Amino acid sequence: MKVLKFGAVWCNGCLVMRPRWAEIEKEIPNLVTEYHDFDQEPDLVTKYHLDSGVMPVAIFLDKNNQEITRLSGEVSKEDILEIIHTHQNS
Amino acid sequence: MFKKFAILIGFVLLFISGTSLIHADNTVPVTLFYGEGCPHCAKEKLFLKDLLQKYPEIKYQEYEIYYSQNNSSLLQKLAKSMKTNSGGVPFLVVGSKSFIGFAEGVTSREIETQVQYCMNNPCIDPVAALLAASPSPTPRSTPTPSSDAPLSIQVPLLGELDITKLSLPVLTITLAFLDGFNPCAMWTLLFLISLLLGMQDRRRMWILGSSFIITSALVYFLFLSAWLNLFLFLGVVTWVRWIIALVALGSGTYYLYDYCRNQSGCSVMGDEKRQAVFNKLKEITQKKQFFLALGGIILLAIAVNLVELVCSAGLPAVYTQVLSLSNLASWQYYLYLALYILVFMLDDLFIFFTAMLTLKAVGIESKYSRLSHLIGGILMVIIGTLLLFKPSWLMFG
Repeated sequence: MKVLKFGAVWCNGCLVMRPRWAEIEKEIPNLVTEYHDFDQEPDLVTKYHLDSGVMPVAIFLDKNNQEITRLSGEVSKEDILEIIHTHQNS
Repeated sequence: MFKKFAILIGFVLLFISGTSLIHADNTVPVTLFYGEGCPHCAKEKLFLKDLLQKYPEIKYQEYEIYYSQNNSSLLQKLAKSMKTNSGGVPFLVVGSKSFIGFAEGVTSREIETQVQYCMNNPCIDPVAALLAASPSPTPRSTPTPSSDAPLSIQVPLLGELDITKLSLPVLTITLAFLDGFNPCAMWTLLFLISLLLGMQDRRRMWILGSSFIITSALVYFLFLSAWLNLFLFLGVVTWVRWIIALVALGSGTYYLYDYCRNQSGCSVMGDEKRQAVFNKLKEITQKKQFFLALGGIILLAIAVNLVELVCSAGLPAVYTQVLSLSNLASWQYYLYLALYILVFMLDDLFIFFTAMLTLKAVGIESKYSRLSHLIGGILMVIIGTLLLFKPSWLMFG
């Protein structure tokens, strides 16, 4: 599983999510995550249809890089862990 | 011939004295139309109380119009007969002159001049003339202090709320806190912090960031002062109060809707504007000459805050309207505005100081913003309702 994290420097919610993700990454060292800046990477923003809606967005991909699910806005650490544990073998 | 002329003069004099249209007996007819709880009316009443003692010739009458349909109709008729506007109170009639609103030192001087004129010249009494032609409402003949009307009201979720205890400082802090969570101006500060954190020079980082925050606070203070002075100038004009009441009800409903919607995160609309501001900030903060960077930051803070004012116009308008209803000294008004600004900036100050001290950008969880929307939404609905039906309950001081 791979997680694409989209955020922006101007977004308060993205700053709130940073330490939550840092904790998760520490707890699950083999989880692959990538951070992408909303303003710096417009191609990826278009590819994943992020031009409208809310930041931050976390997109969960399977081993074939197919999207499993995504989370938008501020979400709890527990909700993220639940998704990771449910799809950890994907 | 002389006898007939004398009889004619006698009849004319009798007619004049009988209808009280013209006062030539040195009494000065002074009639005040006021609203219970209106602060400008209260100030004018205090002035009239002194004036009555100074000039015993004054024949004083007053009519309350907020709670008396008859008195309100009388004012409409009177204004029509005097060919003037009856849009607000206090409305004072001295002879043929009317005075709408009250400003200490300005209106008071004009009123006293007119009283002195009527003491030395015959002055008509338009109110008496009007009352002679229609059934008369009951006036009071001495300036009476405003009554203590506020009681308690039943609020959903909160239970019984004693309005008299909902003091102005509490109202100021609550509304300012709610306004402070408005995301409109926050994103620019976060942009700036992300750029400042990349700097090597800590001193430059502190000065540029502080300048942005202080300038933002000053712009907002000026904006609030403009609203306040507009409302103080207009006085208690009914239609203005109604408009602000609708703004309060609309904003309150929106905040409650936002609370129920429970959406966290940042909307990604408005890309071009955001990108333009970001590029400008980047350019300014990277300037080698310190004073150019400082000037640039101050100008940008003014520009951004002026644009974003539109986004948060509702709350300041409602707050300054309530503040203008309160009977305070000038310096007290501005002290309340300063308190509002301080509380309004608390979240910005928290984010800025934490980032500068830890060298890490931090955010504030949306649950706090959500809670402020719930409390603020309820408060705005209460204020809107009171502005419509019981404005006197919102008059502090």
